[in-house]
Amino acid sequence: METADQEKDRTTGNDSTEIDRLKEELQREHEMYLRALADYDNYRRRVERERSAAARSGKRELILQLLDVLDGFDRALQHIGDAPSSVSEGVQLLYRKLLSVLEAQGVTPMQSLGETFNPELHDAIGTVKSEDAEPGTVAEEMQRGYRWGNDLLRPARVRVAL
Amino acid sequence: MAKAVGIDLGTTNSVVAVMEGGQPTVMINSEGSRLTPSVVAFTKTGERLVGQIAKRQSVLNAENTIYSAKRFIGRRYSEVQSEIKNVPYKVVAGPNDAVRFEIAGKQYAPEEISAQVLRKLVDDASKYLGEKVNDAVITVPAYFNDAQRQATKDAGKIAGLNVLRIINEPTAAALAYGLDKKKNETILVFDLGGGTFDVSILDVGDGVFEVQATSGDTHLGGDDFDKRIVDWVAQEFQRDQGIDLRKDRQSLQRLIEAAEKAKIELSSAVEATISLPFITADASGPKHLEMKLTRAKFEQLTTDLVERCISPVKQALSDAKITERDIDEVILVGGATRTPAVQALVRRLTGGKEPNQSVNPDEVVAVGAAIQAGVLSGEVKNVVLLDVTPLSLGVETLGGVMTKLIERNTTVPTRKSETFSTADDNQSAVDIHVLQGERELARDNRTLGHFRLEGIRPAPRGVPQVEVTYDIDANGILTVTAKDKESGKEQKITISGSTQLSKDEIDRMVADAQAHSEEDRRRREEVEARNNADSMAYQVERQLHDLGDRVPLNEKARAEQLITQIRELVKNNSSDLARLRQLTGDLQQVAYGLSSSAASQQSSQSGRPGGTSGPQGGDDDVIDAEFTEK
Repeated sequence: METADQEKDRTTGNDSTEIDRLKEELQREHEMYLRALADYDNYRRRVERERSAAARSGKRELILQLLDVLDGFDRALQHIGDAPSSVSEGVQLLYRKLLSVLEAQGVTPMQSLGETFNPELHDAIGTVKSEDAEPGTVAEEMQRGYRWGNDLLRPARVRVAL
Repeated sequence: MAKAVGIDLGTTNSVVAVMEGGQPTVMINSEGSRLTPSVVAFTKTGERLVGQIAKRQSVLNAENTIYSAKRFIGRRYSEVQSEIKNVPYKVVAGPNDAVRFEIAGKQYAPEEISAQVLRKLVDDASKYLGEKVNDAVITVPAYFNDAQRQATKDAGKIAGLNVLRIINEPTAAALAYGLDKKKNETILVFDLGGGTFDVSILDVGDGVFEVQATSGDTHLGGDDFDKRIVDWVAQEFQRDQGIDLRKDRQSLQRLIEAAEKAKIELSSAVEATISLPFITADASGPKHLEMKLTRAKFEQLTTDLVERCISPVKQALSDAKITERDIDEVILVGGATRTPAVQALVRRLTGGKEPNQSVNPDEVVAVGAAIQAGVLSGEVKNVVLLDVTPLSLGVETLGGVMTKLIERNTTVPTRKSETFSTADDNQSAVDIHVLQGERELARDNRTLGHFRLEGIRPAPRGVPQVEVTYDIDANGILTVTAKDKESGKEQKITISGSTQLSKDEIDRMVADAQAHSEEDRRRREEVEARNNADSMAYQVERQLHDLGDRVPLNEKARAEQLITQIRELVKNNSSDLARLRQLTGDLQQVAYGLSSSAASQQSSQSGRPGGTSGPQGGDDDVIDAEFTEK
């Protein structure tokens, strides 16, 4: 009797270790499964986020190229005085049209003249001696700076008063 | 677990990358850029600026803006005399002949400056990842000596980083291409950056890289190429207009940007336009600049620069005591290696070997450093490596076409099903021909197995539904099952080792498919045109049969004539696409006519409108991939 009982105990003992082992393994596998699910979920969200960021950065490239055209208008308008007034009006109109297209996309020009030089917003290409401007302020704006929403799209290119 | 990053601490620009989900990712800085200028400035108000912002104020504050600190790090003051001449800031001798930068009466070591750059990179990386970054692998040029390596490591410490390892830039580039898994290979790394040129020859074996030789030119890079364009444009403009654009900083700045843009364009186009309206003005009014620069002209302007790359490569080969034939792999690093003339030169110098350049050459070093960081921090080990099927898997369908069920590079385990039908009336069995490969036609691909599903109930062609399922488990074992949906009869085959092809074999098959893609596409189009024609002929034949003598005789004759012509073409495997399509179109017109005239006859007979039994809409309803009975 006793030996038989022991035998039986041992068998159950083996069974229960086997069960424990399997439980553990199941637990481990389940964790891996959850981890994979979580990874996938994170991945999906990141792809979503990156897709919108990529769309924005693609747009940014285009807008930056359009700013180059806008700069051309800025420069043309500085010389427009000699042209007949109807031509100059037309160019003004074109300029405002392009600007309003960009403004509709959230692009806004920055006011830099007279501001204290700030490398976060201004790209200094030189200095000038100036009677009127305070030293350390923007004395000349060579190329306008723009924001896009809250971000800096392009710094203004400036000369700083000495 | 904290992330470890890889940092390419460059002379002009730095890049930081990280392993994310087993893949290296280059991180953007707080200004939204992947490159951070290695520039540190000390403003008059005592502020420290790093990166792009420091660069923007450099003309106002040249003596307190430090760039190219890498040219000084870990070196003795007596060694750097020629470098000092090139920089506007003050370099002095510190204790033990060490190099010091003097800024506003205070001395800074080059490692302190580099530490500022590292700090910014890591801070921005922490923001990007949303967790604190402490551990980093930093790269240095292969020719750096112990003192330079130690100083770079110290820069990391000053920045509060735990520097896991300092690795060589060419080694990092090789890691980015997974070359550490190669056995006994010789690698040439050609690194032409913004302002420096390095050649390194590495030996790899058992995951260990050994630098055999290094050479280079410390003052040669992409900026020199830009300058050649600037000078040429400026000279041409001066000849025409009498104004030197280089004298005006604003004009020069615009010109430099336009030159760089043109250079980049010329990497893919043979001609670029440099357009700078209102570039300057004189008493006569505004002046515009518009010039075309051809690639040939650009190459002529830069011949001597490209040729300056030759002798360092030859030097490195001779120092390593090897010839161009001993090189197994070539890696291109640095943005200037995108220049076609530079690539052509590299090919010429390395025995025509195709260089590795699939990883962005501006980022490849940081990517390799990130991979090393991932290995050292255990990140890479934790990634369960999921296999992909190296080649597409599919089944042969009507006309000997391969219809792909699983595309190549699909991550396994995976399972795909598609429903097919029969190609003939009363077809009782279908042959499943399991194929592997990228070619359009079955016979050009590899056969993995064959089986037959029998016992399909007699039915007109296109009616039986046979569902074919491809299932690849995590071990790459493929099971193909075909099931007749009506009877539930099923047949399957298991093929092991469908993913175990040698890399060469896979490459050959993929290259083959690329080489034949045009021809294959044409042949597939032909098969499809024949299938469509045949299917149309079949439908109209049935329609004629169904409608019987309700079809006017002349229309019936016309339809039968077209059917005969189509059958003849299909039988002869005609490749006359135009004629096949023409006849198919004609027959379709006839079919519409048949159904409407039959309908009007019907309505006149029974007084009921509608009631068409026309063809089932040409292409839409018919499953055009059908099995043939063999």
